[in-house]
Amino acid sequence: MTGYLARRNPTVKLALLFAVSLATFFLFDPVTPAVLYLLALAAIVIGARPEPRALAAAHLPLLAFALGILMVNALSRPGTVLWQAGAARVTVEGLEVGAALGARALLIGILSFGFVVCTDAVALLTSLYQHARLNERVCFALVAGYRMLQQLGGEWEVIRYAQRVRAPLGRHGQPKAGPARFGLAAFALLVMMVRRGERVAQSLEARGLGRGARTVWRPVPLTSHDGWFAVAVLGGVALTIGVSVLAGVARGPSALFGG
Amino acid sequence: MPASHPTVTDPVVQLTEVTVHTPRRPAPLLHTVTLSIAPGERMLLLGTSGAGKSTLLHTISGGIPHSVNADLSGQVLVNGRDTSASTVVDIAMTVGVLGQDPSSSVTMSQVDQEVAFPLENQGVPAAEITGRVQEALSLVGAAHLAGRGTSTLSGGELQRVALAGTLVGRPAVLLLDEPTAMLDAHGVTMVRAAVAAAGVDGAAGTAPAVVLVEHRLDELAGPAGLAGLPPRTVLLGDGGVVLADGPTVAVLKEQAATLHRAGCWLPLEAELWAVAPAVGPDDAETAPGPDDESAGRGGAPIADVRGLALLDSFAAPSGAAATLRATPTPGRTLLEGTGLSVSRDRVRRRTARRPGPRILLRDVDIRLTAGEIVAVLGANGCGKTSLLLTLAGLVDPAAGRIEGQRPGLVFQNPEHQFLRHTVAEEIGYGLPGSAADRAGIVAHRLAGHRLEHLADQNPHRLSGGEKRRLSLAAMLAHDRPVLLADEPTFGLDRRDTLATATALTEAAATGRGILFSSHDLRFVAALADRLLVLGDGRLLADGPIEAVLADADLLRTAGLTLPPLVSWLLHRHPGALRRTLHRLDTAPAVDPVPAVVS
Amino acid sequence: MPASTTAPAATPSARRRPLAWTLKDLVLLVVLGVVFGFLYWALVQAWTGAAILFGDLTQHVLLGGWLLAAPVAIAIIRRPLAGLLAEVLAAVIEVIFLGSPVGPTLLLAAALQGLGSELPFALTRYRRYGWLVYAFSGLLGAALVFFYSAFRSGWYGTDLLTIRLIVQLISGVLIGGLLAKVIVDALARTGVVDNFAIGRDLSRAR
Repeated sequence: MTGYLARRNPTVKLALLFAVSLATFFLFDPVTPAVLYLLALAAIVIGARPEPRALAAAHLPLLAFALGILMVNALSRPGTVLWQAGAARVTVEGLEVGAALGARALLIGILSFGFVVCTDAVALLTSLYQHARLNERVCFALVAGYRMLQQLGGEWEVIRYAQRVRAPLGRHGQPKAGPARFGLAAFALLVMMVRRGERVAQSLEARGLGRGARTVWRPVPLTSHDGWFAVAVLGGVALTIGVSVLAGVARGPSALFGG
Repeated sequence: MPASHPTVTDPVVQLTEVTVHTPRRPAPLLHTVTLSIAPGERMLLLGTSGAGKSTLLHTISGGIPHSVNADLSGQVLVNGRDTSASTVVDIAMTVGVLGQDPSSSVTMSQVDQEVAFPLENQGVPAAEITGRVQEALSLVGAAHLAGRGTSTLSGGELQRVALAGTLVGRPAVLLLDEPTAMLDAHGVTMVRAAVAAAGVDGAAGTAPAVVLVEHRLDELAGPAGLAGLPPRTVLLGDGGVVLADGPTVAVLKEQAATLHRAGCWLPLEAELWAVAPAVGPDDAETAPGPDDESAGRGGAPIADVRGLALLDSFAAPSGAAATLRATPTPGRTLLEGTGLSVSRDRVRRRTARRPGPRILLRDVDIRLTAGEIVAVLGANGCGKTSLLLTLAGLVDPAAGRIEGQRPGLVFQNPEHQFLRHTVAEEIGYGLPGSAADRAGIVAHRLAGHRLEHLADQNPHRLSGGEKRRLSLAAMLAHDRPVLLADEPTFGLDRRDTLATATALTEAAATGRGILFSSHDLRFVAALADRLLVLGDGRLLADGPIEAVLADADLLRTAGLTLPPLVSWLLHRHPGALRRTLHRLDTAPAVDPVPAVVS
Repeated sequence: MPASTTAPAATPSARRRPLAWTLKDLVLLVVLGVVFGFLYWALVQAWTGAAILFGDLTQHVLLGGWLLAAPVAIAIIRRPLAGLLAEVLAAVIEVIFLGSPVGPTLLLAAALQGLGSELPFALTRYRRYGWLVYAFSGLLGAALVFFYSAFRSGWYGTDLLTIRLIVQLISGVLIGGLLAKVIVDALARTGVVDNFAIGRDLSRAR
């Protein structure tokens, strides 16, 4: 992980992610989130230097999701009809609200992507323990959970193979697949991981977790750079929203109800 | 009669009349156990499965009564403090624990973070931590792993890192609960060396007292024989009672038959004492002792002359043993793979895959005929499991083709295959035919694998050996012509291993073809007709057992080491390998005649 | 039989500090969050076809899956707020480890789900674990989060609002409620949760 953003304190980044997401909660116009999205995209490309392929791959589900929202709203929101074909009708209000919600989904999605691509999960948890006073047992239970998550893919694959061996054959001579098979494999995975979790908890306690008064071997830095970064981000967002309010572009939740 | 152990200083662990009950079982897990462990003492804890060894370790670490749903009466003192009045976390300051499952022993995603974690929890200043982490990793031979992520490590490496994490806090007591049970041969060697290093006073302070639960005493002893075992042994019997407590050699000699019957893997000398008690170290002339080199070259596996004579007698051709399997003549081909390339990539998918899946094995030809048992050997990671998955039709071969009916495959961890809530349903799963047919097959399998008393139990509640028997029974119920098995005796005790061998032999006798992978060369030598050796990305050898095992260069290329017994038999009694092992395996344990007290 | 020595008959410390959360309980919550999070992802991978078919309504059909962690956690640990904490941790895992595009607002949704799921169990003092309690747990969890999501995603004022609500409630009851009981009962039989509160309660009842 390289770049300006990767060097910033993870707790600060998380808090900013939260703050910006909340700030856009009450925005229901398409322009403001779209502008914020473009700003965020620029910031992430410059500050986190993600792989182009990863960036594109992250956009696919986001765009699909946003388009879906746009379409559903356009077709299902009552108001001034723009275009009609039989039972389906597209309304102006539907398009506006749909575009707004879609843009917001894009914004939050790109911010989440940016966050994950420049933040190490374990560093984040350590930082939360150091700076946000997160309970140490919760913190390291989650760190252990991160490791267990890494193991899940492999275990899931083996379980699927193992259960296919005795699965009855379907019409084409292949072992039958389907929700029942998925459920059985899912349950086997759950049993295995619950048992492993109990042993992990024993390991953690055997290592002394929970005594209180711990030191941190490699503390995550929190510097004045992080402070300025926060100011810059919050200021930028506030400015954008302020400008759009002044320009009369911004719309609040009343837009949902045709106001 | 348990021998009392004189201690000069205060014991670091003191158990007094400890009894442990669980609500689920009427019989206690431990019953009035009294024992003390001196500082720095190395102790071996033996017992039958279910005798309470893990329970005993839990009482020392505080897991009982604090974490496990069990009641403890009696007193457990660790470093003078009562465990009942303390918490697991506090006890952890003086007690280090290492379990058998590598995937839960290490909890962090970076190696150095893992080893530093206990020191952070103890409040050790950050500046001091770096040095101690380095020191602990060097002690266990894992210094080169310092910067690695834990998801990239093998089982043996994980266990060593976990051991470093246990030692970094300089505990007074080290509890090891079968630390090598789930490792391959290479991992076992590495972890044993690390444990041995941990037991030595050194730069890391005085050595901790070590309590080791280990069921493979034959491997633990290694080329040093009985001298390679910890000096003191405590033996627990059924119901959690202390049966013996004293110097290891004396306990083994006295209890060899009991241990043998209970299914413990004994070092060769002890195994021979169990089947012929007159043979013993006191009154025996000794041959030139075994050393690493001579054992490898077919030198005597043990020092004791009478033991060697007993082995010679086993090797002698006499009236054919009724249960010994003759090598079958080649029958009908049941499974054939030609020009196979095996990779680790995923299940069949119709979309185009990205180019260049990682090829583990190239150009492999395999043929399995009716009635034969074939073993696949190879170092860990060489592709044995992937090969079995490919032959079973679960993974597409990267090249080549396979012909034959759908094989059965028994997985390394039986729990992966469990699908039902009771043993009986598990066996009957997926069977074709009417309910009555199924019931008949299920009843037959339950009887044949000694599972009748467990028919209504949930499969996950079974013991390790029982789970394996169940997974084998469930697979055999499907009556497929070919049975593949991935490490079928992994982690099993001696009795269950022999039961597995018997089950596979019977399956072959009914005309099936069996192909299994294993790293237990003695088991392979006693059971298999033919050997396949994988290594270097290809099939290195495919031939009769004795011919393949006798090829030292081949074994070296493949990274395999012969146990001294097998090596000796190949040199001294060529052609009698399977017969000797079979007689040794099936010889009944004989209790020693008690010494006359004058 | 020799008498016990003077050491006190020890009791499992859970009886001495009944309200304290053990690390084992916390790790169990994390395990549930990780496993259900992973399975949800695996499910989505496997059935993108169905997702396209149902379109936007898929989220309501699958919502029950999001609710699963809470009742399962409550039934095993049997402490107040187990369900809420389970949902919040699951959301944390989704956002931080799995990089969910929904973002940290998922935590708010999760809190509401957890609260709704927790309520029926809390009202019955964490002593009743029958089908009805689970069903209500799923219903309330789905309902509470619906109103939040409706605001956030702008469903108010659309024609589909009622349909969404109905589908979501059904999913909640069936998947988030009844399926949860099936899972809990099956887990108890396997023995992996014997050392938790559920195991103690079941063995006492035996």
